[in-house]
Amino acid sequence: MKIKETNKNILIFSVLSVLITWFLNHKMGCGPIIANGLVGVVGALFLPGMLAGAVFTSSFVGMSGLNVIPTLFGTIIGGITVGVVIILTKEIYAGVGGKGGTTAATATLITKTILSLIK
Amino acid sequence: MENILIILIAIAGTTTAYFISIYLNKGPTMGAAVTTLLSGIVFSYMDSELGLTLAVVATTGAYAGMISKKKAPRIWEMIIIGFIVGTISILATSTYVGVGGKLGTIAAISCLSWIGMKKAFNIEIVKETDDAKKKGSLKKGIQSY
Repeated sequence: MKIKETNKNILIFSVLSVLITWFLNHKMGCGPIIANGLVGVVGALFLPGMLAGAVFTSSFVGMSGLNVIPTLFGTIIGGITVGVVIILTKEIYAGVGGKGGTTAATATLITKTILSLIK
Repeated sequence: MENILIILIAIAGTTTAYFISIYLNKGPTMGAAVTTLLSGIVFSYMDSELGLTLAVVATTGAYAGMISKKKAPRIWEMIIIGFIVGTISILATSTYVGVGGKLGTIAAISCLSWIGMKKAFNIEIVKETDDAKKKGSLKKGIQSY
């Protein structure tokens, strides 16, 4: 099985984005909004359009509360889930503001379900 | 009073993100991210609970401001979308607390509501074509049929 380069990058950056946002949010005490803003600005500055969008979208998952994603392991599951959802929904509702958030909400709820099954 | 402030901040967030994204040509991610970061920093200096609420609302507005120029070609449309964002934010305070993506979903609902309204009421945003510019025959703005 061969994974396209773009999709592989989306998956890697999604996991990193969720991890960093969650870490800034809960461990560094920045709060979800500043953490999301920081990750989004850095992504937009250094990554090409498509990847920057994926990083910003994934960052929304990292804004989740500890009641939803309580551990670093949860963020990895969340990152993989949101990456897969982004890849599968690239063409749907492109250009509608909030598409990323809806994608993230879907991924977060899937992650929460997976984590509750693992417990 | 608090609700009016929430709606005003939502409009400000939406318009700012759209302005950075479309008018400054920085793209939707940069537009929303800068607005989010600024709101997070500015409102953290305010009264804790109201400040947090306003930061969240501005962020939701910023996500809605990521809409493409094709879907919302005029900046005044952001005022309507911002108003919808503010209203839904007030109504959905206690829904899905802590779930990442909740704010983006509110933004998507707001944008889709406005796009739907435009279709339902046949509101057409007329853009000047090159030919029309030459002839000067087509006016900018809204035309309702």
